[in-house]
Amino acid sequence: MIAVDSLRRLYGDVVAVEDVSFRAGEGMVFGLLGPNGAGKSTVINCISGLLKPSSGHVSVAGFDLQREPRKARSALGVVPQELALYEDLPAVENLRYWGAAYGLKGTELKTRVEEVLGYIGLGDRAKDLPKTFSGGMKRRLNFGCGIVHRPRVLLLDEPTVGVDPQSRERLFAMVEEQRDAGACVLYTTHYMEEAERLCNQLVIIDHGRVLAAGTVAGLRAKLGERDTLLLTGDFPDGAASRAVERLVGNGLRDLEIIATAGDSLKLTLSDGSRHLAAVFEALAAVGARVDESNLRRPNLETLFLKLTGKELRA
Amino acid sequence: MSFILSAAAKDLRRWWRDPMVLLVWLGIPLLIGGLITSLMSGGGSGVRPTGVLLVVDQDDSLVSRAVTGMFGQGELAEMITLKAVSIEDGRTQMDAGDASALLVIPAGFGEAWLREQPATLTLRTNPAQKILPQIITEGLELLLDAGFYAQRAFGEEIKVIADWRETGREAEAGRIDAIVAAVRDRLESVKAYLLPPAVTVELVETGQEADKVSLALLFLPGIVLMAVMFTASGLASDIWEEREQGTLRRLSSSPQDIVKFLLGKTLAATLVLFCITGITLVLGFALHGMAWSRLAPALAWTVLSGAGLFLWFAAVQMLAPTRRAAGLISSIIVFPLLMAGGSFFPLAALPDWIAAFGRLTPNGFVAEQLTSEITSAAGWAITPASWGLILLIGIAGLGVAATQLSRGFAQR
Ligand SMILES: Nc1ncnc2c1ncn2[C@@H]1O[C@H](COP(=O)(O)OP(=O)(O)O)[C@@H](O)[C@H]1O
Ligand SMILES: [Mg+2]
Repeated sequence: MIAVDSLRRLYGDVVAVEDVSFRAGEGMVFGLLGPNGAGKSTVINCISGLLKPSSGHVSVAGFDLQREPRKARSALGVVPQELALYEDLPAVENLRYWGAAYGLKGTELKTRVEEVLGYIGLGDRAKDLPKTFSGGMKRRLNFGCGIVHRPRVLLLDEPTVGVDPQSRERLFAMVEEQRDAGACVLYTTHYMEEAERLCNQLVIIDHGRVLAAGTVAGLRAKLGERDTLLLTGDFPDGAASRAVERLVGNGLRDLEIIATAGDSLKLTLSDGSRHLAAVFEALAAVGARVDESNLRRPNLETLFLKLTGKELRA
Repeated sequence: MSFILSAAAKDLRRWWRDPMVLLVWLGIPLLIGGLITSLMSGGGSGVRPTGVLLVVDQDDSLVSRAVTGMFGQGELAEMITLKAVSIEDGRTQMDAGDASALLVIPAGFGEAWLREQPATLTLRTNPAQKILPQIITEGLELLLDAGFYAQRAFGEEIKVIADWRETGREAEAGRIDAIVAAVRDRLESVKAYLLPPAVTVELVETGQEADKVSLALLFLPGIVLMAVMFTASGLASDIWEEREQGTLRRLSSSPQDIVKFLLGKTLAATLVLFCITGITLVLGFALHGMAWSRLAPALAWTVLSGAGLFLWFAAVQMLAPTRRAAGLISSIIVFPLLMAGGSFFPLAALPDWIAAFGRLTPNGFVAEQLTSEITSAAGWAITPASWGLILLIGIAGLGVAATQLSRGFAQR
């Protein structure tokens, strides 16, 4: 449903997106995971037609965005990162207007608007102005405006930013319902948990480039079954690597340092809980001090850390 | 078509939520119009009389020259011959019945006016004449009042701007914003217009009840155009509102035609203009007892022109880098255009070179045609060429605005 090939987009001299390619099919949630400034919105905007790619190709529902923009856009529903609502127009009128913008009319428009109002949980606030709504309600209406016309392809750009937990759950449920109804959902986020929970497939991007792509399970497998051990304390120069060398020599073959920074140390190893004591001992022996420790099962956060050497949310 | 209507309905619903703004756009011109009308209540204009106005200018300042200058311009100049005299000569000639009126501008008058201190002009009229002394009296009061209201409304800004000119300092953005905000606030506080004027015209001798000339009629088109300009430029700023709310971006990612969106907004603006100019014209027609058969062409002409102005204001505002700059550019354009185009003083009362320029301004042109319509012997007096011209200007505005929308303004 969405095909992106060698997409590249510059802002002046700044390369925002470089050589991004992926395919997202119907009935799936396709994730675009990356930290702020990674280029997620730029990719979304190239697909929605707001930005022209500097080079590369984008097609939506089989229509090339350059050659048949009207047809491509008709298939699209967009839920932008920044709210795009008439704050001074009642919720129901917002939905009606956007339905009309996508060509709905008459009774079809009317019934569909009623349906969406109930669906986004704003049935009892239909006549109220969005400027009186909470952040979560606005997000839900923003979502509603993107789906009035039953799009086959739905673009969601960080839809949960600034949203209370309840509205967040409602949004997740709505995304899943769209997917189950056969839509192709492109979902960008910088929250690894959201990507793990919602996405069938995803690409991880940073600095405009694809770092990894695949299913959540497949990406996890890339890490092996290793755990991450996060330590804070005092690690004098070279102490950590000496301790790790010693431990590897003693049989902890897959122990690796993934990041060090002054008072923190990140390690990866198999079956971490069994070897905790040995790790602490070895560190103490080289003069390091551990104040806090945190052992994690492998997840996308770890993968991102391993690929880039930095935290996803940093 | 159906989307054009949806877009127009959406805008009307939104604008209707802020009726105060609409009232201000309507209210200011009505207030000024009411004021002028109360100064010179209407009546049929008959044969054009001529006479002599004796002036003793003891002040000899810019302001005093502006006062006398008004009688030396345009239509008034054809009726009134100005003669500078000494106070003794003036009295002698008045006593002999050789002149219509004697105006004495005391020394220090200009200074007092600028400082908004009370000042008195003495006007002695010839009891033997009827119409001319009336015109002179009304014209004088009107001039002082108009100047007074300008001073009242924008005195502070005028001073600041004058200071800049003097010191040659660069205008800081913050100051400009403050001024724009202040001007807007001032416009909204209609109260300021209700304060009593500081200048009084003391009539030494008045004639008996005189025939009244409908000089006020000269002001009507300018006042209507003031309402049109305020409304058109104010509504045009909605394009920035749409951009800031993100709705323009959402629209650009839809399959919808941006020209239809713009036509919808223009349609909504046209309806608002129809109501506002409708009210202004109907009141003007009723007050001056004008032929109602001219109302339809006058209204159609004004509304069509207003729609064109709306599109051009939108196009100009989209050139600005920020919303604030757009507002500033709008004010910078609107006020001089109103001034030159005869909304504060009728073109006929302005110095010739300004009047010539004024007729070339869009609002001046529209007002001039409107004048010819409402004063014509038969209805539909505006030529097809003028209708065609204004229609072309409107279509060009649509083209320019649509181009800017689709070439980046909506997508940014
Ligand atoms: N309009 C713009 N002009 C210049 N640079 C931009 C613009 N928009 C985004 N960028 C830059 O492009 C990169 C990607 O931005 P964006 O796509 O918004 O990232 P994300 O959505 O992942 O947070 C960032 O480095 C950002 O600073
Ligand atoms: Mg973004």
